[in-house]
Order: sequence, then C-alpha cells, then structure tokens
Amino acid sequence: MLSVENLHVRYGQIEVLHGVPLHVQEGEIVAVLGANGAGKSTLIKTLIGWLEPSEGEISFQGERLTHLSAWERVRRGMAIVPEGGRLFRDLSVEDNLRLGAFLQDENTLKEQLEVVYTLFPILAERRKQVSKTLSGGEQQMLAIGRAMMSKPRLLLIDEVSMGLMPILVRRVFQVIRELREHHVSILLVEQNAFEALKIVNRAYVLENGHIILEGQPDELEKDPRVKAAYLGG
Amino acid sequence: MLILQNLSDALILACTYILMAAGLTMVYGVLKVLHIAHASVYTVGAFIGVLVFSWIGNFWLALLCAMLISGVFGVLIYRSTYFYLLNAPRTVPLIASVGMFVMFTDLLQKNFLMGPYQRAFPAAGAGLPAIQTTWLSLTPKQLLILLVTLGLLVLLYFLLTRTRLGLSWQAASMDREMAAAVGINLNRSIAANFFLGSALAGAAGVLVGVYNNSVFATMGDLPSYKAFIIIVLGGMGSLPGAILASLLLAIVENFMVASIGYVLPRDSIAFLVLILMLMFRPNGLLGRE
Ligand SMILES: Nc1ncnc2c1ncn2[C@@H]1O[C@H](COP(=O)(O)OP(=O)(O)OP(=O)(O)O)[C@@H](O)[C@H]1O
Ligand SMILES: [Mg+2]
Repeated sequence: MLSVENLHVRYGQIEVLHGVPLHVQEGEIVAVLGANGAGKSTLIKTLIGWLEPSEGEISFQGERLTHLSAWERVRRGMAIVPEGGRLFRDLSVEDNLRLGAFLQDENTLKEQLEVVYTLFPILAERRKQVSKTLSGGEQQMLAIGRAMMSKPRLLLIDEVSMGLMPILVRRVFQVIRELREHHVSILLVEQNAFEALKIVNRAYVLENGHIILEGQPDELEKDPRVKAAYLGG
Repeated sequence: MLILQNLSDALILACTYILMAAGLTMVYGVLKVLHIAHASVYTVGAFIGVLVFSWIGNFWLALLCAMLISGVFGVLIYRSTYFYLLNAPRTVPLIASVGMFVMFTDLLQKNFLMGPYQRAFPAAGAGLPAIQTTWLSLTPKQLLILLVTLGLLVLLYFLLTRTRLGLSWQAASMDREMAAAVGINLNRSIAANFFLGSALAGAAGVLVGVYNNSVFATMGDLPSYKAFIIIVLGGMGSLPGAILASLLLAIVENFMVASIGYVLPRDSIAFLVLILMLMFRPNGLLGRE
C-alpha cells in the first residue's frame, strides 16, 4: 500500500537519506531500525509531508503523493505519531482526540473515541485534563490515540518507546500489535530493536541514510550486524 | 462625576484598542508574525466605511462593507507575502510587514485614493440614543462603539471556542506542522484567520473614524505601535490578555491625562507602561512561561 523509491532528503546542503527504498503491504507491521542520527525521523517526516524529498517517489494506495501537503495525505488515510508525541499541549485530552478526528464526521468521532478509550482506559479518566500535565507514558498513549482517531489506513510511528520505562515499552508495543485488528498497516521506526522485532512482520535496517538490510524478524535477529549494533552483541 | 466620565471615555477607547489587538493577536497566534501592516487594514477599513457611508448614508451597511473589504485585503496581504515566508526566520516577515505598512500609508496618501487631507465621517450615533444614568453616561456615538465591539467579541468568542475553525486555529497556534498532520488545511485555516482578524481591524477603523468624525491616510500610525504594545502587555497571543491590556492602557491614559495633565504626550504613556511591564512582568499580564 505504501511504496517508496529512491528517496533522497536533504537539509540545506547536507543529504541525510541517500536513495531509500521501502514498501509496506496491506495489514503489515514494518519496522525501520537505526541508531541515533541514522535518518529515521527524517524518513517519517518525509512520508507525512513535513519535508520534501529532493529526489524519489512516494506512492500510497497506488497514488503518487510525493508533493502533496500533510493534510492531503491525512485525508488519504495516513496518520502520524511523531517523535516526542507533539500533543497540542494546552488543550485537553479530549480536544486532542477531537483534533485527531478533524476530517471525520460526528459519528465516526464518537465511534473512534470509544475505540481509543477502550484501548487506553486511563485517557477516558483524564479526558478533561490539559495534555501537558499528563505523565510521559500517558502522553505517548494520547499521541497514539490521537492518530487512531482518523481511522487511518497507515500509521507512521516515530520511536514510541523513547523515554518510557521498560514495562510501558512492552505495553505500548502490545497495543501496537493490537491495532492491527483495526485494519491499519503500521510503519514504525525504532532504536529498540529487541522489542520491535517481537511484533513486526518485516524490518529494515537504516544506517547513515542507507537501507543496509531487510528481512523477517528471525532472520534479522540472527544477523551479526544487527546483533552487534542493536541487540547488545 | 468626573471620574465616571473618565471611566466611560476609557471604556470606549479600550473598545477600539480591543478590536485592533484582537485581530493582531489572532494573526500572531497562528503565524507568530508581528503584523505591523495590520494598521493599514485599519485605515483601509475607515476609508471604505466613509466612502460607502457618503454614497448610501447607512452606517451599518458601511460597517459591513468595510469589514468585508478589510478582510479580503488582509487575506491578500497574507497570500502575497507571509505565505511565502512561513518557514523563514521570524524577522523576515516582520521586516516585510513594516515595509508594507510604509508602502500602504504612502499609497493611501496619493490623490487617487485618500489624498493628504481629512474626510468627515458624520455617521453620528447611527440613530442610537444617549444613555444617562447615575453611574454611566454615554453619548450615542459611545453607545454605538460599545455595542459593536461587544457584538463582535461575542461572535469571536463563539467562533474560537465552539467551531472547528476555532479549534483549528488553536491547534495551529500550538504546532502548525502537527495541525497539518491531523488533516487541517492550513492554507484555508490561516486565510480565514486573516480574514476575521482584518475584518475586526476594519471595524475598529470605522468606529474610530466615526468617533473623531475624521478619516485620513495616516490614521494608522498610532495604532500601528499601540496595538503592539497591547499584545506584548497581554502576553503575545493571549486574547483575554489583549483585552485586559487594552482596558488597562485606556484607563491609565485617561486618568493620567485627567489627573496629572499633559506632563507627557498622551500617546507616549503606552511606552511608559510597556517599559514598566518589561521590567516587572516580561511575559505580559496573562503570558505563559
Ligand atoms: N532540521 C535539520 N537541519 C539540519 N540537519 C538536521 C535537521 N534535522 C535532522 N538533521 C540531521 O539529520 C540526521 C538525521 O536526523 P534524524 O532526526 O532523522 O535521525 P534519527 O534517526 O531520527 O535519530 P534519533 O534516533 O536520535 O531520533 C542527523 O545527522 C541530524 O543532525
Ligand atoms: Mg528521530
């Protein structure tokens, strides 16, 4: 459903992604693993439309959207859980969720609120609380919830595990796996290869802006390069 | 009695400040641009108002036309300039804004537009009565200004808090990129923001024109800096803050002049207040962090 060819992205003179190929099938969970500065966030930002590639093509459900704005991509079924959550910090939990469903009608909004509150009961308890006063873990859940509000076909997730305690990391990955029941395909970028490889169908390894490996989780777990770099030897 | 009279004068002055500052605050909220050329919109509003009034003789129609055209003018300013500077450092749109203000003021002084003279705007109180009670005394003109301002503020409050458009502005003012990534069409949302903010400035121009019975090309000079002081006092982008600051400034201006007399020019008081504020509450009356 998502296919990326030869993606080059630069900040000013400096190129950060050097011809990345990538694809995600309907219903798949795919991870892109990479160290700090590998270009993972750059990739996600380019996919949602915050950055424009200098070369290459992005197509989604058979349509080219390389030069569409973010809101046009959201209209076509993408949603993002950005690095750090980027909640609308002065708004309440419920207003954040409402904004997540900005393009949906009133019925879908109600339905999806139900879905999100079932996934994260804590958010229902805190629906009136201003989002910046939520704990780090709650904020991550809200960021995921907000993205689910638009009933996306493809969810782009940038390091949900960052800054969470190990038990929460596991919980969040569990939730991501459950999201599959909502007919959403997922592309997640992660440093935490250990947890990510447990839930994905396929993964890529991104190093200095190049995809150096692609495969099933069990193949990657055995690969000496992955072992050395991401799984602690 | 004198105090009460001053208080109602201050209230009316505050109304015009509020309308100017509200539009500026809205624009600042979404774009983080200090939109100096907002004062040109105010002048254009007054000009359109006086033109329509002289043709048709109906104040309300003149006000409506002035607001609509000011709104369109504001959107044009956005689409022709700020739109291309969205990702530039913030000083770039600021400089562009000052440039536009100077250019528009010059243009408006040309003979084929407003010319270098004053026009009367004899709409009086648009037929409203005077109000004379023990605690409040308003002339018809003052009542008109108060009613129009309150009406517009109620409308603005409703738009901001009860509509999708208002929610989209709030989202965009916190994180523009993220707003786009929940599906908000920024082009439309920002244009609507400019339209409404500029329409408010146009209304302010008309009201001040009627109040002073005078409209002229350089009438935006004072509001161009006063509105700024007000949004800084109010805490940059806080609408309640801007309203509070408008009231405060108007009261201080009126009472200083009334009690101490003209020790210093009335319009410089705003700067005095600004300096004090920056010394003691640099984030504004209701500013955050
Ligand atoms: N706005 C920017 N301007 C210039 N360089 C940037 C910008 N954003 C990122 N970079 C550079 O691009 C490279 C890739 O950054 P990116 O944020 O994509 O890494 P990442 O893989 O997400 O890392 P992390 O795991 O730390 O989040 C880094 O070298 C970074 O310094
Ligand atoms: Mg990153």
